[in-house]
Amino acid sequence: MPSYAYILVSLVLFFLGTTGVLMRRNALFVLMSIELQLGAGSLALLAFARALGDQRGHVVAFFIMAMAAAEAAIGLAIVVAVYRTRKKIDLATIDELRG
Amino acid sequence: MNLVQAAPTLLGKIAFMVLAAGAVAGALLTITRKSAVVALMSLIGTFCATAGLYATLSAHFLAVLQVLVYAGAIMVLFIFAVMIVSRDEEHPIALRGVFVRSAAVLAIGYLFYRIAWLVARERTSYVLAVASTPPIPDFGNAGSIGRLLFSDFLFPFEAISLLLLTAVVGGVLLARPPRGHGQRGPA
Repeated sequence: MPSYAYILVSLVLFFLGTTGVLMRRNALFVLMSIELQLGAGSLALLAFARALGDQRGHVVAFFIMAMAAAEAAIGLAIVVAVYRTRKKIDLATIDELRG
Repeated sequence: MNLVQAAPTLLGKIAFMVLAAGAVAGALLTITRKSAVVALMSLIGTFCATAGLYATLSAHFLAVLQVLVYAGAIMVLFIFAVMIVSRDEEHPIALRGVFVRSAAVLAIGYLFYRIAWLVARERTSYVLAVASTPPIPDFGNAGSIGRLLFSDFLFPFEAISLLLLTAVVGGVLLARPPRGHGQRGPA
């Protein structure tokens, strides 16, 4: 398939992830949507890497994967810590840091 | 420029369509479901379909890693978090009111439309039109990626290992109960 088909799929996935980040209230769902966005970015990188015959895109996608693992670990730890003190993870009601 | 326009085979087309439809359907389910477990399972489906798309781009090493790391390790982390904090919410959507919600959907949809239009307009340009460049031996397998990682990308590779170590220590520190939590009697 030509690479613009892959780019369009990646765009759809990225915008679904953006919709999830903006519209959900549960912090867990927001983290899942961020994972969707990262996966969509990797797909675009790999499509361009294939089109240009350049494997450096694969290496960057590899780094994105490692970064996503770190982000999930820290994000979920924060969610668990917030749940332990507040007994809820509703992003609309967590506003202690608001000035 | 020697542009090789390999016409996609019928089987390749069908595989792409099925995998793309699966990925998009899983993503849709992920952001719309109320139950966190159902959303997680659809997210795993999306990642497996994306791994298939990687394989059709002859990124075999990344496809295997996607299944192992994303659909395996990261999703297990999510499942544990869901087990700890699981509760279904009454109002899953953050924005209140039909007007605000439809305005948000319209704004996101318009942004998507503009970028997709740009891609569709430029679909005959060099990078977007090629199905594949002339085949390079060992393209996207573990050996060639590993050689690249340990030569040109050695410093980023070591930096990312430091990042992962920091994330592990930070995650343990954040999620650990406060000191002396276990010994304290009922308040």
